[in-house]
Parts: sequence; C-alpha cells; structure tokens
Amino acid sequence: MADRLSVTISSDVMMMSEPLEGIAHAISNLESSQQFVELVTRALQEKVSSVEIVEKGLRKGLHELGQKYEAGEFFLSELLYGASLVDQAMTILRPNLKTEKIETKGRIVLGTVRGDIHDIGKNIFKMMAEANGFDVQDLGVDVAPERFSESVGEMSPDILGLSSLLTTTLSEIGTTVAALEKSGAKRSVKVLLGGNAVTESFRKEVGADAAAVDAVQGVDYCVRWTKK
Amino acid sequence: MNESEMTPRERTRNAMDFKKMDSIPWVESLDEELVMNFFSSGVPIQEITAIQWGVFLDGFLLFNWPKVLGFDPYEYLGCINLTGCIVPVDIGPIPRFKQRRIGSGPRYEEYVTETGALSRRFSKGTKVIWYSMPQFYDFPVKDRASWEQYKTRLNPEEPRRYPKDWEKDGYIQVFEEYQNGPTSLGITGFYGFGAELMGITNFVTCFYKDPDLIDDMVSHWERFTIEALREAVETLKDRIDMVYWWEDMAERHGPNISPKLYQEFLLPHYKTVTSFLNKNKIKRIMIDSDGNIQPILDLIIESGINGTWPLEVNAGMDARKVRKLYGKKLFLGGNFDKREIGKGGEAMRNEIDSKLPLMKETGGYLAGLDHDVPVTFTLERFREYADYLRSQLAI
Repeated sequence: MADRLSVTISSDVMMMSEPLEGIAHAISNLESSQQFVELVTRALQEKVSSVEIVEKGLRKGLHELGQKYEAGEFFLSELLYGASLVDQAMTILRPNLKTEKIETKGRIVLGTVRGDIHDIGKNIFKMMAEANGFDVQDLGVDVAPERFSESVGEMSPDILGLSSLLTTTLSEIGTTVAALEKSGAKRSVKVLLGGNAVTESFRKEVGADAAAVDAVQGVDYCVRWTKK
Repeated sequence: MNESEMTPRERTRNAMDFKKMDSIPWVESLDEELVMNFFSSGVPIQEITAIQWGVFLDGFLLFNWPKVLGFDPYEYLGCINLTGCIVPVDIGPIPRFKQRRIGSGPRYEEYVTETGALSRRFSKGTKVIWYSMPQFYDFPVKDRASWEQYKTRLNPEEPRRYPKDWEKDGYIQVFEEYQNGPTSLGITGFYGFGAELMGITNFVTCFYKDPDLIDDMVSHWERFTIEALREAVETLKDRIDMVYWWEDMAERHGPNISPKLYQEFLLPHYKTVTSFLNKNKIKRIMIDSDGNIQPILDLIIESGINGTWPLEVNAGMDARKVRKLYGKKLFLGGNFDKREIGKGGEAMRNEIDSKLPLMKETGGYLAGLDHDVPVTFTLERFREYADYLRSQLAI
C-alpha cells in the first residue's frame, strides 16, 4: 500500500521472520506493490516453493482480505487492490508452477446470461476464485442456456456460475436452470447465482443451489462445496 | 404561498426544504424503451402533441418536413422528471470524442462514446431489451500520460461550454416559465468522473497504486467544476432549485471506495464545491447514487450534500432508516422497491403503504421508484401504480 494510506508499518512486514506470514499479511493489509513483490522475491530466494507461497501465503492473505470485506472494514477498492497483488505474485510464480504441481480446488464455469452484456461483477468473482485456487472457465457475456448446458458436458465443472446484473434478464437465469434440468446437466454441478439482480427468494424460485451477494460470498460457497 | 395552488416546481422545492406543501411530489425517471413500450400498448395517438417542421443548427435549416415530436410521458402519466429543466452548461470533454459506430455484427454494435470510452450494446434488431444500457470495455484514461492528454479537453474556460447566446435575463425568463419541476444544475461527481474515465476497476485500485494521480485528477475536477459552472452559478444563484450530483458510486455490499478513501481523497474537494454553491445561495444539493451508500452517509452530509436518490432497496437502502438516523439533514427521493411495485395489486400497495405515511409525516421526500422505471413495466401496471400512488400523495 502506498505510504500515505498505510494502515501498518511496512517495515514490520519486511521484518517478519516467516516469509509466508509476511506475504499473507501484506495482502490483507494492502501493502505497496513494490514491497509486496520484494516479499515474494525474498521468499523464493529463501527456497520457499511457489506452491507453498500460493497455498500458504497468497490464499491465506486473500482469505483475510475477504474476511475484512465481509466485516465491512474493506470495500471494493480494497478487495480489488488486494486481488491485484495476488495477480502480480502469480505472474512471478507462474513459470515455476508449470513444474511444481499445484492442486486446484475445483473447476468453475461461469458466464453472464443471455440478454445481459455486463461483466464487472463476474470478472471480480473470476479474479477472486482463481486467486483462491479454482480453475475458472469463463464463457463470457450474453451466454445462451444451451451453451451453459453444453459446457457442463465439455468441461465437467464442479460449479456453474450464472450472473445477471439486470432485473430484466433474471428470467434468463430461470430459463438456463430449466435447460440444465432438462439436459440432466444440473445433476452433476452446483449452480451458483450472482449479480446485482439476484436475491435469495429468486434462487429458491428457480431451484439454484446458492445466490451470492458478492464475490467473496460466492467464493466461500465454492470452497465449501469442493472441500475434500 | 397558497398550498392549493402550488406548481410542481414549488411543491418540489418545498419538499426538498422540509416545508409545507399540498401533496408529496411524485418523481420518476423514464427510459426511452419504456416509453416506446407504452406507446405500443395503448397510449393514444392524440397524445402526440407537437410536430416540428424543421431542424435548425446554429441558425441553419437542416430539413423542413413534419417530424412528430412532443409526447410528454411525464405529463401524460402525471409525474415529473427529477431533474426538470436543466441549466445549459456543457461539462463534458471539449473537443468531444466523435460518437461513432466502430463495428457491428448480427448481435452487437460497438461505439466510441462522447467521453472516449469504447462500448458495446445489442443491435436493435436482436429484440433484446435494454439495449440502451451498454457495456463499457475500454477507457480513455489508463495512466498519468493519458490523463495529461485527456485533461486538455477539460478546460473550464473553453467558451463552448455555454450557449452562444448565453445571457442572464433570457434564461431566467425561460426558467421562470418552466414550472413543471425544478430547475437543476447537473454535476458529475468526483467518483463518477474518475470511474467514467478509467473504468471502475482501474479507478478504485488507482487510489492505492497511484494516489498522486488520483489527487491530480480530483483536484483538477474541483477547479474545473467550479470554474466551468461559475458563470451559471453566480448569474442564476438561487434561481437554480437543485444541484443534481451524479455519482453512482456503490453496489450492494457498499460504496465502491471505502469511507477512508472518500474521506482522504474526495471529501475536501466536495466541501470546496458545496461551499462555492452555498455562497451563491444554492442550498439543495442531491447525490444520485445507486447501491448501498449507507456506510458513507455521514461523510456525504459532511461534504455539504443534503439530499439523496434513488435509495435502492435491493442494495439495502431504506428511507425510513435513513430518516430516523439523519432527520432533516437529508431530503430523500425514491425507495419504492421497483420489484414489489412491479408485482401490482397488494404487493404494490403494501410497498407504498409501508413507507409513504412516515415520509408524509416527516416531509423532505420525493416519492417514486428506487431508480428508473424498469422497461418490463406494462402501461397497465404503471397506471395501476400511478392511480394508487396519486390517491395517497395529498397531505
């Protein structure tokens, strides 16, 4: 985090003896990008594996970030900045992760339903889910019900995420869930709803498995469903 | 003033001032698609009240044949538009980005917007509703260099910001004649301006990644806002009934930037602008923001803003709660849950009955839906709502 906004003394983080702890702390306390990159680089120099950095540093930090968001201490600005730090770390770690095997938590296929071309919420969820260790396949926006059904056969996801910002396209969620039922695809996936227009009563009405009020809650559902 | 002879403008001003009035003003925002749907579902042709025989631009006649204009959906439906008559100051980028189509396919069309963003929307032939709400996918300001370049279009002294024939008396006369609602001055807020130029994700993370850039942007916007509006504000003063400050700075979880960021980066600039407005006797300043702005309401009030709309129910906003917490510090607009109103019948009546009595009792309220009337409303459903609401508005 930039100096003027720091909520912690940056040197505290740099001094932390446990590099993974420092990385997690830096994410959830919004340290500056430069300091964060130094922490990740230092961990690699100290022979901490990339997998460990991801699983015990980045994911822990993200979890704490999400908790602060849910508690109302952080808002979208903080959530997105924290996620951008993780993204930066992943750019550094990705080459190593090709050889070090990292286990994904599960696969999510998601998209915005037909008639709606908005994707900010969907993209935030995608970023948070990937950062939390999910393999996310994004079908994009304005996705037809049949495409969602086909994707279940093609990609075997654990979770299917349907997003709708607009109240006017809510009915498309119902149509999509009905198409999943009809094709039998719904038996093999959990259906997660997201987007501004979605409510708990609507979820019950259409028979989806959960409706998330925000990206953090959405990821929480996914973690719960895929816990081994 | 005789309360029984109030014009919509007087009624709205009194409502915003917590003063006595004959009935609560009813304000709505109607989208073009909705109006077209109403037309196709039974608005009589006789309601088309004006035909224009020519189009003039800068004194030149561009064509001269009858063009059907003039259906006033607000008058027809019995409500008023929230922003009423707007003071003509251009606060957009000048020179404008040429709004133009840059691509089209069977399902989508892509455009450059007037602010320089790239947007995509459904082609009209796709029969997908709400094509007028586009998806923005690229933005003109990405970093310091692109901001410096963009800033050259935000020169407050640019003479084209006012009509060529701008002079006080003529405009005051027009405003005096307009009594169908308030005369309003539109401002784009410090958040709205930045998010529009950078996109939400880039703008809100930029507070952390490059706070100096944010500082420069909002400082410039403060100077730009005051200097671009100075002529209108100092000339018209309290003939401007209301400032309509567009922000759209929140989602269901809360504001898109934290109260901490708002306080550090935006609050001082809001204060400077509201102080300038107040010095010119303009006292009614309303923020338009969707989403849950509850966590920053204290700061909004500290900014010098004293009204808010639309109080989106789906985001957890509740006019009764806000009134209880803030009393006369905020006049309120909207907050009828469009989903409940859209159900009609008992659900619609319950929604109105659960909120309107307290608002009538405490004043400072502009009745209406918690945002634009959804395009899914049928004319019949809207009339049912209108009939019931109108029967309840009298004080």
